[in-house]
Amino acid sequence: MRIKKKNQRFHWFMLLPACLFLVVFLLAPLVMMFVLSFRDVDSMMNTLQSYSLSQYLHVFTTDAYVKAIGSTVWVALQTTVICLLMAYPAAYVLVKAPHPRLRAFFYILLVSPLLTSVVIRTFAWIVLLSQNGLINGMLIDLHLIEKPLSMLWNMNAVIIAYVQVMLPFAVLPIATSLTDMDRHLRPASMSLGAGRIRTFFHVTLPLTIPGMITGAIIVFSLAAGSYITPLLVGGRMQPLLPLSIYQQVMQVYNLPLAAAMSFTLLICVLAVVSLLSYLLKRWEARMHA
Amino acid sequence: MRKKSISDRLLSVLIWTAGSLVYLFLTVPVLVIVLSAFSPNAFPEFPPTSFSVRWFHEVVSNPEWMESLRISVILLLIVTPLTVLLGTMASYALARLSFKGKEAVQAFILSPLMIPQVVLGIAMLYLFTAMGFTGSLWALVIGHVIIGFPYVVRTVGVSVSNLDPRLELASMNLGAGPIRTFFRVTLPLIKPGIIAGGVFSAVTSFGEISISLFVSSPQTITIPVRTFNYIEQTFDPSVNAISVIFIIISIIALLIIEKTIGLSKVM
Amino acid sequence: MSGINLEHISQHFGEQIALDDVSLTVKEGEFFSLLGPSGCGKSTLLNIIGGFLEPTKGVVYIGDQDVTTLPPYQRKTGMVFQSYALFPHLTVFDNVAYGLKVQKKKKAEIKQKVMESLSLVQLESFAKRMPHQLSGGQQQRVAIARALAIQPAVLLLDEPLSNLDAKLRKNMQTELRNIQRNVGITTILVTHDQEEALSLSDRIGILGEGKIQQIGTPLEVYRQPNNRFVAEFIGQVNLFEAEYDEVTSTYTVPHFIQSNGKQVQLKVAAFKEKSEKHLLMLRPERIKLSSVGEEVQPNHVTGVLADVSYIGHSLRLVVGLNQGEIIVHASDAAFPELPQVGETVHIHWQPEDIVFLDSKVHA
Repeated sequence: MRIKKKNQRFHWFMLLPACLFLVVFLLAPLVMMFVLSFRDVDSMMNTLQSYSLSQYLHVFTTDAYVKAIGSTVWVALQTTVICLLMAYPAAYVLVKAPHPRLRAFFYILLVSPLLTSVVIRTFAWIVLLSQNGLINGMLIDLHLIEKPLSMLWNMNAVIIAYVQVMLPFAVLPIATSLTDMDRHLRPASMSLGAGRIRTFFHVTLPLTIPGMITGAIIVFSLAAGSYITPLLVGGRMQPLLPLSIYQQVMQVYNLPLAAAMSFTLLICVLAVVSLLSYLLKRWEARMHA
Repeated sequence: MRKKSISDRLLSVLIWTAGSLVYLFLTVPVLVIVLSAFSPNAFPEFPPTSFSVRWFHEVVSNPEWMESLRISVILLLIVTPLTVLLGTMASYALARLSFKGKEAVQAFILSPLMIPQVVLGIAMLYLFTAMGFTGSLWALVIGHVIIGFPYVVRTVGVSVSNLDPRLELASMNLGAGPIRTFFRVTLPLIKPGIIAGGVFSAVTSFGEISISLFVSSPQTITIPVRTFNYIEQTFDPSVNAISVIFIIISIIALLIIEKTIGLSKVM
Repeated sequence: MSGINLEHISQHFGEQIALDDVSLTVKEGEFFSLLGPSGCGKSTLLNIIGGFLEPTKGVVYIGDQDVTTLPPYQRKTGMVFQSYALFPHLTVFDNVAYGLKVQKKKKAEIKQKVMESLSLVQLESFAKRMPHQLSGGQQQRVAIARALAIQPAVLLLDEPLSNLDAKLRKNMQTELRNIQRNVGITTILVTHDQEEALSLSDRIGILGEGKIQQIGTPLEVYRQPNNRFVAEFIGQVNLFEAEYDEVTSTYTVPHFIQSNGKQVQLKVAAFKEKSEKHLLMLRPERIKLSSVGEEVQPNHVTGVLADVSYIGHSLRLVVGLNQGEIIVHASDAAFPELPQVGETVHIHWQPEDIVFLDSKVHA
């Protein structure tokens, strides 16, 4: 018993620093920002002493901002869906690779981009898609087009860049789901008369739902909260909430408004993530004790 | 499973083609950058006509890049030990404790990974401005530690879960207290997780931009921030050279992580 | 329902030969076991029959049909896996109905067939449950019901009872046999448990090192093993390397020297060629204890009791000789008092009990 008590104290002691650190440097600022979002500003962008919902009203009554909220969620959804669709064959190939060397190779391809700065990954798309970039260069050399195409500075470029940046986060959970599956389930299905396609839709796909939901949660949160990529590849004019936040902070210096937008963004992301988490919990409850 | 009729074979070909195309899609940007970095011109050409390390020379001889490199490395050297310390302690404690609300605390510890980085950035900015040290190196340190240490928590968590708790019990049975046990028994055995986490955290810090952009000042411009500025303002091909260096670092980091605890378990 | 015919099946995995020219026939309605140690190729053979593996050489017939190149979903086989492989996201009912839905049967017919299958394994009331709510034994029964529901021509079982504890295993073995008799379906069971094979099968095929070592009824395989492999794999056995002695018309065993200094001598009921070395076997339960020391004669041995193991219904006695030892199984009823280690023991057996292992001998 005494050993247990001593242990417990030691373990709590170990947990404290990280928790304290997060409370001071994560929780506190978030709370402070939350309070800030209820402050008013004057025309010189000075924060006044009064509290009101004016910032939130501003967000929800300005067309541009409402549009930004909608398109942020919409872009994040599109990115998530495309990522899931593309992640599936990639995860399949990763799991079924016949040689361990090949599998390691795919892993490196998948994970090394994650360790590269997002600036670099996004920059690559500029090199590829810009008017004097690689793709245009090739198309012109092959005489397929006469004038360079304008592929950057629109939402599609943003989505493409997003997908490339976030794809690994979708592939890995799906791959995990695939490997966690009992390896006799596919043969069992086939022994009962189901062909490969039917087996996929009735057995494999349902059993990778946890992986897909996990991947969707990660991709959606990342896509909804990104601002670097759209800045570099879409231009400042894109109607995206993170961009608006960035502008409010770095250019307009209207912190309370930025705070209100931040929490709006946070709530949107939380809502979607909570829904997905709930679906995941329901599915797991059905499948396990 | 080796049954292959014609339609089965077709299906296999389809799947493997699709999968490979996806991996190609993932890799093409990296290839493009490598191509550009070694191209003598400002713009990449395909197929490449000649090979040049001109842009690498430019980077090395540019005092601004060197200053950023200095800042980034100093940051890394301060941030990594801190994240390893905080993360290892927290991860171990979470594995050994059980209490009501433990799941909530776990989520809290890992939350920096889930909060949109733009929100984190402005929260940090506001806090540091209120505390008076925005723009200083310490602001960056704190920001990097916040997003770095959850990685350590995850990787060390993997190592700890592979560790047989009975080893610690045996140690205490023999008279060692919990502190001694931790240093003599636990720590050496979770080294792989710590190393992997440290590498993850270091690389993340080196490449961190979303928060850094908010809280840095002209005296503390890290490499990613400078890269960002260069891309926005000029078109300087030396960014390609920087990118290649980043890519090489990330691959090395990856190999270290794979050798220590194996990638599949971390993500 | 059909029989199965395997002709010259060989399976190579790169350099490794898993199956070497295996041919066998399973009759319609027969319960046939594939028995052998781990790695002998029996699961590989089952996978070939089931269609999950295409053999390097050879032909597989189900009934009259050559199915060698057909994928599993085009063969009329039902398979039960060691890990049960129940679909965790489907109810018991949907699991059993799976194959029927593939066949696009009508809802009413599916319901009827599913309940029939479940009643075969006595699990009708579990239809709405999820697999994780069932015990191991129940899951296995659902797996059997699922395989039978599609009314296959052949039922294949890959070590289905290995994951169950001993008592449950015994019960399931009986149930399995009853179900098979009930339905009358051709069944192939893969197992490494020789008791299981002996008690359930009409015939057993013993596989060793990728080859068929023997095919026969449980009786044949136990009493007349073809070779050393089979003799040692099934049950316990005493093996004698013997030389024929023309003078006495007996076989002497040079490596076994009794406690009275004489070699062990065997008189056999049937002959083989006379001057070669032979491998002979004697089952431990065929040996009887003699009451007094008898004269030195063939099929009698004097030794010292080296070990006694009491198993309840029987005793396992190790009779130590000056050189060599002989294992004896005796029923508990024969010993009002347990024998002591160190006692001198006299044992004997009948000539008919000796079996030649190196070839089939026709008496």
